[in-house]
Amino acid sequence: MLKFLKQVGDYAKETAQAAKYIGQGLSVTFDHMRRRPITVQYPYEKLIPSERFRGRIHFEFDKCIACEVCVRVCPINLPVVDWAFDKGTKKKTLKHYSIDFGVCIFCGNCVEYCPTNCLSMTEEYELAAYDRHELNYDNVALGRLPYKVTEDPMVTPLRELGYLPKGVMDPHELPAGSRRAGKLPQEILEELETAEK
Amino acid sequence: MNLAEGVQLVSLLLLSAMMLGAALGVVLLSNIVYSAFLLGGVFVSISGLYILLNAGFVAAAQVLIYVGAVNVLILFGIMLVNKQRDFTPIPNAWIGKLATGVVCLGLFALLGAMVLGTPWALSTEAAAGDAAIMLIGEHFFSDFLLPFELASILLLMALVGAIILARREFLPDEDLDQPADQVLTLPERPRELVSAGSTGNTADESGDR
Amino acid sequence: MNQGIDLQGSFVQALIDLGIPAGSAKALWLPLPMVLMLIAATVSIFVVVWLERKISAAAQQRIGPEYAGPLGTLQAVADGMKLVFKEDIIPAKSDPLLFTLGPVIVVIPVLLSFLIVPFGQNLVITDIGVGIFLWIALSSIAPIGLLMAGYSSNNKYSLLGGLRAAAQSISYEIPMALAVLAVVMMSNSLSTIDIVQQQSGHGVIGWNIIRQPVGFLIFWIAALAECERLPFDLPEAEEELVAGYQTEYTGMKFGLFYVGSYVNLVLSALLVAILYLGGWDFPIPIEMLANWLGVSETTPWLQIIMASLGVMMTLFKAYLLVFIAILMRWTVPRVRIDQLLDFGWKFLLPVSLVNLLLTAGLKLALPFAFGG
Repeated sequence: MLKFLKQVGDYAKETAQAAKYIGQGLSVTFDHMRRRPITVQYPYEKLIPSERFRGRIHFEFDKCIACEVCVRVCPINLPVVDWAFDKGTKKKTLKHYSIDFGVCIFCGNCVEYCPTNCLSMTEEYELAAYDRHELNYDNVALGRLPYKVTEDPMVTPLRELGYLPKGVMDPHELPAGSRRAGKLPQEILEELETAEK
Repeated sequence: MNLAEGVQLVSLLLLSAMMLGAALGVVLLSNIVYSAFLLGGVFVSISGLYILLNAGFVAAAQVLIYVGAVNVLILFGIMLVNKQRDFTPIPNAWIGKLATGVVCLGLFALLGAMVLGTPWALSTEAAAGDAAIMLIGEHFFSDFLLPFELASILLLMALVGAIILARREFLPDEDLDQPADQVLTLPERPRELVSAGSTGNTADESGDR
Repeated sequence: MNQGIDLQGSFVQALIDLGIPAGSAKALWLPLPMVLMLIAATVSIFVVVWLERKISAAAQQRIGPEYAGPLGTLQAVADGMKLVFKEDIIPAKSDPLLFTLGPVIVVIPVLLSFLIVPFGQNLVITDIGVGIFLWIALSSIAPIGLLMAGYSSNNKYSLLGGLRAAAQSISYEIPMALAVLAVVMMSNSLSTIDIVQQQSGHGVIGWNIIRQPVGFLIFWIAALAECERLPFDLPEAEEELVAGYQTEYTGMKFGLFYVGSYVNLVLSALLVAILYLGGWDFPIPIEMLANWLGVSETTPWLQIIMASLGVMMTLFKAYLLVFIAILMRWTVPRVRIDQLLDFGWKFLLPVSLVNLLLTAGLKLALPFAFGG
């Protein structure tokens, strides 16, 4: 009899506990309702990509010496370097250069290793196309500079969370000169240099 | 005949037609699922007739118990035990059908004669209407107490029996002598045993090294 | 207790004064509340769909519908239009008759149940004696439609979903009916009007939620299960059953299921408000306020204010419950089918029986508080 009563008591306790947990869960959900929506209204608003954003690769044709380092460091040997040896100058002349962004994983090895810095990362990430072959960029397409989000009159640029002033959560309607929390890298550098002197 | 009586007559005719049609469908259709759904139609029409008789509580109980419980259970039964089986056509099946028809018609004629022959004592009292719930309750706990309790005990027994059957604890022991169920295996293709060094691939790999 | 405004009486009297015979005047009145209720039910769908999407969005830190109408209020209308104009596909080898009939049978009982929902003393289509029992009976028809839809789709997911929906529906009907029975026992009547009457007059302390907290919880849980709301939405659990019995449905047939589920949610919330939260009753007894201010209860303007306040209170309570249901949707994970049936049969049923027994005992012991 006592055992049965204990069972009933335990069961009731468990039930009360379950009810408590559901209540806690409800309060968490309720608390989320007063938080700011993190929505970015995409075509009209865009986040400003951060400094080291690895977007579509930019290529400067004239700087390239056709050394093919980019091909060797690429995990899948993706860049296509078409060159011919010019006997007169005893140098390689580049004819075509292309990267297929349908295959590229944007690891940035080619940019890292390029000896003449002719490869660089851009902020462009809108690479949707109707045909995957359209993503195979040749040297002309690679040489185009993307439109900056901050300069596009159609787009409201929004700062990412890390670039907002201290305590501010909403990127909308920031005052003009507001700066992000903490020091900028160049400021830290300056401080270090003055400290060394 | 005023408006209310006209509405009542039309509803009575409609409900009767619905009920008879659905009932004939239950019996005559060969698709058992249709029969089951039409049975629900029969029950709903009967509950409509109850409403016409000013018996709202009985009508609601009819819907709740017959449509909501009995018919759903029948449907469950049909849908969970839906084994397609082709019956071999029986020669001279028409004799059976004819016999069934004759028996049914005879029964119908008998009942019809009984209905027409009985001098029904028509009550002139007004129907109880909404007060019927109270009256039913009073009857249940006074002069119909024994049948009411007996019915509840019967239902309890059925409930306990169903639970015992479903738990399968007291089923008669099966022959334990028979070998236990074979280990269930998927019908797989017998796997060909391949020795490690014989294929070309491994040779290539070793060459690489 | 005053009788409030008698709209029907005034309307019929006005027509009789115009020279129309009494029978025809009454016949002219009959369709008006029904049409009004149908319109109210349809509008309530738009409101609930909008609330559901906006509150869901807020709980997930999104914005939700924004462009269709001010604050996205017309989003449900746009979705409805899309469903109406969509191609009506009947899958091959399905059963076209049952396939069409299924959603109809699901929707009709739900709309029919609005017969007994009172918004005020006289603001109800019919005050029939069977009252709340009619709703319980009608809600037991829906599983047939679900089984029909599941069977006729010729799709295993649909069939499983339909069977699950029917099993869930009939298992949760019993605790719900027992919870209602406890309330009915306290108010000595099945009529929804009487149930509210018995709660009103003392403000919040008179409401059944104080006297029947366990019954309230049981009823609300069972109502959520009947509506297939999220903790119990496994008949249409998309991860396992694609969309349950709705899998093969498109166009307005799917729209009917959609309408049915949302109207059912509103109906359940309204009934919880009526059974446990005092219906149209104001949290502070309004007669007391009127007496305190020295206004007679029979003053016409006071009666109009009370009637409109009553409608507003009923709707406010119902939508508060809808809000809780939506919040619940984003809080509680879905239960498994065996957990669902365990919960219904092994927990809710015994608890509701004990609740019924306790109510009966309390009614005998404390007749002044528990409606002797």
